[in-house]
Amino acid sequence: MPRIRNDGASSAYLETFKVSAVLIALFLASFYLLSSVLLPVIISFTLYALSLPFVNYLVRKDINRSAAIIIMLVIMMSLSIFAISVALPQFLQQAAILKNKLPTMLDQFEAFTGHYSAVLGQTLGIEINTTQILGSLLAQSSSLGKNLLGSITEQLFAITLAMILVPVLTYFILKDFKSLRNKLLNWLPNSSFELGWLIYHRVTRQLEAYTRGVMLQSFIIALVASSGFLIIGLEMPILLGSLTGLLNLIPYVGPLIAMLLSVLVAAAMTPFDVNMIYLAIAVIISAQIVDNTIVIPAFIANVVDLHAVLVIVGIIIFGNLFGAIGVILAIPSLAAIKIIYRNIYADIHNDSRQSGGRT
Amino acid sequence: MSNFFWDNIFKASSDEIEDIARHWCSSPLFKNIPKRHVRQLAENMHVRHYQAHETVFREGDQGAGTILVLDGEVCIKARNNTLATLESGDFFGEIALAENDKRTADAICTRDSTLVFFLRQDLEEWIETEPRLGAAFLMNLASVLAQRLHQANQLLARGNA
Repeated sequence: MPRIRNDGASSAYLETFKVSAVLIALFLASFYLLSSVLLPVIISFTLYALSLPFVNYLVRKDINRSAAIIIMLVIMMSLSIFAISVALPQFLQQAAILKNKLPTMLDQFEAFTGHYSAVLGQTLGIEINTTQILGSLLAQSSSLGKNLLGSITEQLFAITLAMILVPVLTYFILKDFKSLRNKLLNWLPNSSFELGWLIYHRVTRQLEAYTRGVMLQSFIIALVASSGFLIIGLEMPILLGSLTGLLNLIPYVGPLIAMLLSVLVAAAMTPFDVNMIYLAIAVIISAQIVDNTIVIPAFIANVVDLHAVLVIVGIIIFGNLFGAIGVILAIPSLAAIKIIYRNIYADIHNDSRQSGGRT
Repeated sequence: MSNFFWDNIFKASSDEIEDIARHWCSSPLFKNIPKRHVRQLAENMHVRHYQAHETVFREGDQGAGTILVLDGEVCIKARNNTLATLESGDFFGEIALAENDKRTADAICTRDSTLVFFLRQDLEEWIETEPRLGAAFLMNLASVLAQRLHQANQLLARGNA
């Protein structure tokens, strides 16, 4: 039940809303201005968050910081080269197969659902026209899937460019970010200096923990799903498993898309075996059980505490504004906005309380 | 011109860093920590200039770190009672290094002052790269906080007597 607030608290809410609105506008504007280089910048900051503990570990072992960063980058570049030379061609090959097979898969899936709806209709004595229901949905999914897979192949150049740009950016972020951050935050006025640092401290702690948790979560889900698909004998297990891990970054909607993809692949396999569809669904559900019972409680719970409705609305808004990257960035951005709002409110409320008490 | 853009106008000069390190080394917080490490740490501390009567923080504000008075004078007040007047070399607000808690008193500069902030963020980053020195610092911090508690208990006992 909401509490009745006094005038001081109400004006604090209003002030906080004004300040937060300005900050959110600045935040969205900087996103928009950086949109052309957003992907390499985000990847670099993600790698920064992931590699910082390792760099600090090397520094603790009496290795010079610059040398520690170079060692870290050599390891990362070796992994990137390995990924390009070994994993990427296989990944692209599987993506091309999936792209070519997609229309057949959709036809077979439609036939499969049509058959079962007819059986169900006969049993229940009613007429269910799933072809009509699924028609527009599948047509949209097909074109979306084709575009996605097509753009992966077409944007190979952009991906390669990002792979060159990312290590350079990561090096400079690891080397100079702290001093750059200090310079920027030192521009805060005396009255907001401590508050600015506190907000920065809380936001970065949460984002670092969230990034590490989510990367680990994505990797574990990809591993579980790939293994599961491999065991049941589904086609393209590595690609589908990797996509399942990646799609898991999108809450609620991601696992459903991953399930739809694996069902499509299972439905398109020859000879057609309905058990394969059930097994593919079982693999996705198993991965979700592992995610919800082991991974999330251990690595992600308590990191971000956002209401489900807020998450879904945020994903839709960020997705509309910034596309696929926006969908992935929605949760960390919302979490950051929440911390900023809370801290500014606490400060403004304290201000109004103090001035009220002294007059 | 390029210096105007790239130099940090808030960055302390080397004399100032030496001064900050000297003050911290003589404080109980950095007892038994070698001066070269304190100097390294001082390079990343935040030097701020305050005018006379300017508020550093107020009771109820959220604290981000401890503050050293490099130059000038700071008055610590709680409910209009002056608790302490701090001068060059004194430090205050060290509770914020140990806990995310609100400030328990007002701090107001009574003269134009130069203050040095050692933030919890700086401390955590230092502990990540220098855990042994960080542990020594935390022991010193615990000792300072225990001393403050002891003094508060004595004041309370006197008040009750």
